[in-house]
Amino acid sequence: METILLPHLGQYPLQVGLFLDVQNARYLRQQLLDGNTEFEYAFLDAAVLLSREHVLAACFRAINDILQGRMKSKNVHSEIVFSLSPNNNISECFRRFGVGETTKNIVAIKVDNNASQIQEHLQNHVQGQIVPFTDETLASLRDEARVRKAYKVDSSSNEEAEAFIIGSMALKGS
Amino acid sequence: MPRALSITTHNASLGEAPLTPEWHSRTVASETAAHKMSFTAVPTASNSYQLNDSNEVQPLHSLPPPFTTTSSPGQTSSTKLIRQGAEALLYYTHFLSPSLPCALKYRPPKSYRHPILDKRLTRARILAEARVLVRCKREGVSVPAVLGAGWEEGWIAIEWVNGSTVRDAIFGRKTWRQENQASYEGGEKDLVGLMHKIGCAVGKLHQVGVIHGDLTTSNLMLRPTVSGAEGGEEPSATSAATPFDGTITLIDFGLAAQSSQEEDRAVDLYVLERAFGSTHPEVEHLFPEVLKAYGESYKGAKVVLRKLEDVRMRGRKKSMIG
Amino acid sequence: MPIAIGLEGSANKLGVGVIHHAAYPHSSHRSRQDSPLSSSPPPPLKASDGDASLTWPPVRILANLRHTYVSPPGSGFLPKDTAAHHRRWVVRLVKQAMKQADVRIEDIDCVCFTKGPGMGAPLGAVAIAARMLSLLWNKPLVGVNHCVGHIEMGRSITGAENPVVLYVSGGNTQIIAYSAQRYRIFGEALDIAVGNCLDRFARVLNISNDPAPGYNIEQMAKKGNILVELPYAVKGMDVSFSGILARIEELAHRLESSAQGQSEPWKDEDTGEVITREDLCFTLQETVFAMLVEITERAMAHVGAKQVLIVGGVGCNMRLQEMMGMMAAERGGSVYATDERFCIDNGIMIAHAGLLAWGMGFKTGLDESGCTQRFRTDEVWINWRD
Repeated sequence: METILLPHLGQYPLQVGLFLDVQNARYLRQQLLDGNTEFEYAFLDAAVLLSREHVLAACFRAINDILQGRMKSKNVHSEIVFSLSPNNNISECFRRFGVGETTKNIVAIKVDNNASQIQEHLQNHVQGQIVPFTDETLASLRDEARVRKAYKVDSSSNEEAEAFIIGSMALKGS
Repeated sequence: MPRALSITTHNASLGEAPLTPEWHSRTVASETAAHKMSFTAVPTASNSYQLNDSNEVQPLHSLPPPFTTTSSPGQTSSTKLIRQGAEALLYYTHFLSPSLPCALKYRPPKSYRHPILDKRLTRARILAEARVLVRCKREGVSVPAVLGAGWEEGWIAIEWVNGSTVRDAIFGRKTWRQENQASYEGGEKDLVGLMHKIGCAVGKLHQVGVIHGDLTTSNLMLRPTVSGAEGGEEPSATSAATPFDGTITLIDFGLAAQSSQEEDRAVDLYVLERAFGSTHPEVEHLFPEVLKAYGESYKGAKVVLRKLEDVRMRGRKKSMIG
Repeated sequence: MPIAIGLEGSANKLGVGVIHHAAYPHSSHRSRQDSPLSSSPPPPLKASDGDASLTWPPVRILANLRHTYVSPPGSGFLPKDTAAHHRRWVVRLVKQAMKQADVRIEDIDCVCFTKGPGMGAPLGAVAIAARMLSLLWNKPLVGVNHCVGHIEMGRSITGAENPVVLYVSGGNTQIIAYSAQRYRIFGEALDIAVGNCLDRFARVLNISNDPAPGYNIEQMAKKGNILVELPYAVKGMDVSFSGILARIEELAHRLESSAQGQSEPWKDEDTGEVITREDLCFTLQETVFAMLVEITERAMAHVGAKQVLIVGGVGCNMRLQEMMGMMAAERGGSVYATDERFCIDNGIMIAHAGLLAWGMGFKTGLDESGCTQRFRTDEVWINWRD
């Protein structure tokens, strides 16, 4: 797992882990639905993630919105998922970007500075293999069709499309 | 002073000494009125899009939240003021990752404007700029990418563009020509090439339905093309590097709008034409090359050029008494 | 000792001024007996723009008289009537100016007049007077660009070395900066001048034109505080006022009809207060002046200037000066303005600019002395500067 500090939001460290071949997605999802306080995480479906930058942009937007008093969802972790979406429909957003019953590859994020504790908890509860969170790995996991559908772009594999998507995320709610 | 008199008589006679500014006039607003913006170091030299070593760290209150000038954890270097433009401050910082440099454009409140008007304008302009940039990017126009935006706070985080402005490149050409006199024999060919590039870039922009609104040579960047061409091509031995190599990237969309009206496109070109005339009078004669390249860049461009003539006439011959 | 008389009448103000420039160092050999028409002008001397303490040339204002044609409230001044006014007053003003200046006809070196831009008939009326004086007194004519007159007078009076100039009046709105012997226009109003916008708004509300509609709007604005929404039209370094005028006229009509009980009292949405004429004046000023300050700031940023000089009738407005001052202070710069003697159209600025040109050998022959309603500021070769 990795501790990522966003420039300018360094007081809110991100604990990030990319898990491959997850077996218990349904269980993880249930914990979130139940509001289990031990599972305050953002679980993102890696198939619709373009890059580290893409994920971090969502994190920045979420944390900043909360700091400026504009939170739209329940907490920072749900806000991260929400920030990935180009529109304001929360349930659709979780459907597209959050963890579903059959999600295989998951990026788990927690805004917290206790890296070791979080790593331990996730390794104990996520039945998947933890790998480095890199652009290359994400690219190999991507489901182009789902990205295209989620963001209404023609292709997601080029630089312009990604820039457009990140830009749209920045503009959401305007 | 008495206002009701219809004959105003002034018979002041001075000595032979030259007038000092205080006599019969006021120097309004001295330097003592320091408002929120108490900059200790504002880059006075070029407007080029580069870091200036003498930039000092600016006081905290000149950046909107969550940005700070001090190095917070996660930053390898502090935020630096690059340029104090007319409406916005431009900072160099990093966004999302220490390896992703960004231009942070902040529109601070303007004390001279009524607060309601100020907030309304700032919000509208940040949003307009962000929207236009995102749209352009999608359509393949060469513009920097939007990384983040806080329209209530007045900031937008944009991908950092390396290179220099066309303005500086043209100014720098004199020096460059002096140094390369022997090897460069192209006459004005390099300038013509630049003009063509500009015409094409503006054409592409207009073609996607966007008006820049503030086309000056400070808002055109020459972004160095990535060296090391693909496919193992050798750089041509005969083409020497000129100050105008690179891709034209349009920046500063603070006054941009979405429009396909010929009139608006013509005014866009007219603004650029006048910018050349006032800032680079010595290359003004080559501006027709810009228009030539523009005219060939998309269908309908030629109509815009005809409209440009009308806009010029208006400027030349208008009477402003309605 | 060059002395000039200047006649101005491009709009509703008739001005006559007599100015004296300190002797050019090389002119000591010039004899007074020489007929000024046949003698050669003094050798050219260039102003040294870099020297802040010396305004060149040192000037003495010997007379500066003005008479304004004021039209009734609700109306603007028509060219025909304005020309008639100028014709009625010019001889008296010239005589008075000469008396006040205490100079003899022989002392006058040239007769300067506004060639343009401005309103045709009034310009023509004053030009006729100038030509008459030129023939009567046997002195050369010097046609002057009205805008250049404002700029040169502003520079001389305030000592601003190389400012960005905001020239704002009933007939003009331009942002100007000096470069290579031209006053280059960086930005301007694309349709009507800001002063014209203010004047026409005043007419809708029947605000008095005495001493000037803009002045009365300014006084009323001080008592207003509600900002109503108006379109804001800055395009690059240009501005546009016709949209704002259309809207504020609409609002003014709305106000009048609610004041006359023809419709509901118009209240501000946020505060619930009734909107007054003063509020409309306030709104208009805050909006158009913000636009002007904005384009001025753009020009300053673009050329790297630290000084702003405001000239022209609208430049008298204290709120505009205040706003400009706030902007300049934030940039570490300063604003220069003159008082109503010089910012409102006057004859002395014509004499001054004319004398500067004459000093470089410029003259306007009788056959070239026609007026022109459209005379761009950048058409004039400013060869008295480097």
